[in-house]
Amino acid sequence: MSDCTPLRLGQRVPDFELETYEPAKGDFGTFSLASQIEKKRWTILFFYPGDFTFV
Amino acid sequence: MGCDVVTVSTDSKHVHLAWREHEKELARVAFPMGADPSGELSRMFGVWNVAFGTSERGVFLISPAGTLMGIEVNFHNVGRNIDELLRKFKANLYLSRKTTEACPSKWKDEGDKTLLPGAKLVGKVHEALQG
Repeated sequence: MSDCTPLRLGQRVPDFELETYEPAKGDFGTFSLASQIEKKRWTILFFYPGDFTFV
Repeated sequence: MGCDVVTVSTDSKHVHLAWREHEKELARVAFPMGADPSGELSRMFGVWNVAFGTSERGVFLISPAGTLMGIEVNFHNVGRNIDELLRKFKANLYLSRKTTEACPSKWKDEGDKTLLPGAKLVGKVHEALQG
């Protein structure tokens, strides 16, 4: 996956999973695209360089 | 509204916790904060900064079918505008129902003027937006 061509508009995003901190629960969790698709929900992925910087 | 935001950086979930609980500016943040320590997801979306080993400021909108519908990437010193992100999401949501229409730049919400791309619109966008 690391050497693949970046995704383009209109392409199907391959499934992915992330470990998360979930402030709403005050606990760690997991986010997966498969689960979003199962729940029929849109996803906004918001990348930024690092914690303790501005976003 | 049928949409979930998840933030992503190379920091671990433990650092996310520490930042969220320490920084008062984040007191209202409720969305999950994702960890991409290897940069694998960042590379998949083309926002991996090799020199710094961090993610660039990219936003990606993914439909409920798993299709990539929107991309915005800014240089590291430019912040993103949440109103514009929201506008683009609403436009995508609207157009997923109204597949023959298009939302022009000034479209903000349901009820605002849309366009019907086709032969009749060629050279007549100004009139269509006025009408």
